[in-house]
Amino acid sequence: MSYKAVIIGGSAGSFQVITKILANLPAGFDIPIFLCLHRLKHVRTGFEEALSIKSTLPIIEPYDKQHIRPGKIYLAPANYHMYMELGNTFSLSTEPPVNHSRPSIDLSFFSAAYTYKNKLVGIILSGANKDGALGLKQIKLAGGVAIVQSPDECQVKTMPTAAMAATSVDYVYTTDQIISFLKRI
Amino acid sequence: MLSKEEITLFINVVKKISTYDFSDYSERSFARRIDKILSDNRMELPALISKVKSSPEFLEKVVKDITVNTTELFRDPSTWQALRFRVLNKFENQSVINIWHAGCSTGQEVYSMLILLNEMGLFEKANVFATDLNTDVLNVAKKGEYKYRFNIDYLDNFDKVINENPFNYEDVVNVPYTKYFQVDQNKDLLKMNDFLVNKPLFRKQDLINDGNIFYTKFDLILCRNVLIYFNHELQTRIFEMFHQNLFAKGYLVLGAHESMLGPVAAKYKRKGLFYVKK
Repeated sequence: MSYKAVIIGGSAGSFQVITKILANLPAGFDIPIFLCLHRLKHVRTGFEEALSIKSTLPIIEPYDKQHIRPGKIYLAPANYHMYMELGNTFSLSTEPPVNHSRPSIDLSFFSAAYTYKNKLVGIILSGANKDGALGLKQIKLAGGVAIVQSPDECQVKTMPTAAMAATSVDYVYTTDQIISFLKRI
Repeated sequence: MLSKEEITLFINVVKKISTYDFSDYSERSFARRIDKILSDNRMELPALISKVKSSPEFLEKVVKDITVNTTELFRDPSTWQALRFRVLNKFENQSVINIWHAGCSTGQEVYSMLILLNEMGLFEKANVFATDLNTDVLNVAKKGEYKYRFNIDYLDNFDKVINENPFNYEDVVNVPYTKYFQVDQNKDLLKMNDFLVNKPLFRKQDLINDGNIFYTKFDLILCRNVLIYFNHELQTRIFEMFHQNLFAKGYLVLGAHESMLGPVAAKYKRKGLFYVKK
């Protein structure tokens, strides 16, 4: 496999897309996937469980300094920013929200772009703000692959559209195309 | 983002000209803080480096901006509910309870603790100490005054912790928040009542270099979302220091997504959200 990690950012309208992607990943998928999803401020628990129901791979809300392992899905915990450090560990942060969001997709994407460079796939899904646009640009600058969910298919297309305006993305994919891309890598 | 080499360069300069040592901070998280400072000041790294070299005042400001100072009243209400019904009640028969908030920032959790202690009838016998590296946030903490508008959650959190019992849903009381703080919507102000403000001892302290600056051990140490900015090695040193300064069976309370890894964890027994000194 030529990639070392996948990072996915999503907001309004992305929950069903994520659920479908996670349900269709091959059981032997052997790199980590990072999920940075906006959620309602008061919905701090239960999200991990809801995503786990259909996922083929285990979903974990990481603790600070937890090791990153292949074949696991890591969900940014509520009310923390999530960074991927060199040496395969997470660090968390409670600094103020960025783009009104904590976790912020941009901040997670920035750290992943630095740590995984051209071995990273970044995906932006449906969402109602611009978080993730600069992050996807950074992934592209570091040599990684930039994908957005097709705005035509999105419940809310602001987020992928903003990402497309910020950088020249490699692929504009429907959910099914994202799944088949992930199966191929 | 700044590279590891650029970050190392910055850290080495600061180490040379001051007593501040950021070598053991989480690298990407630290890089983000410096990126933020650069963009807030519309500067590139070389300019930042030369300005901290030439201006001690600017260096102090940068150090304050590096540290993260977010906190809330009763942040993570379930943690505070567990503190109330599973931890603080264990100290009821003691004549004195010593509590240290390490890295207290602007003090919201110190006041959360005082409110809880008062509701449990433990206020008078508690000694509450609170420390932070940053004197600006300590000054806010000492005043006990906060913005109201962005903190409306505080009232919900207050009700969850003070007026509800998750272990017995029939046990509902109706303590008004005005018993502890006043809200002035016109002035956008939430102000703690004087009897709370006058109680704790706030002190400047550097967790890394100073250790315990009070001449006592503690029944309870709260250090929430502070050590996440340090790497594993430095976290371990601080966990050792806390261990030396807890009474036997004393409790350490970390943030909701913090944990203790490696051999130091064997010195504590994990009880749900809490670590108890063995």
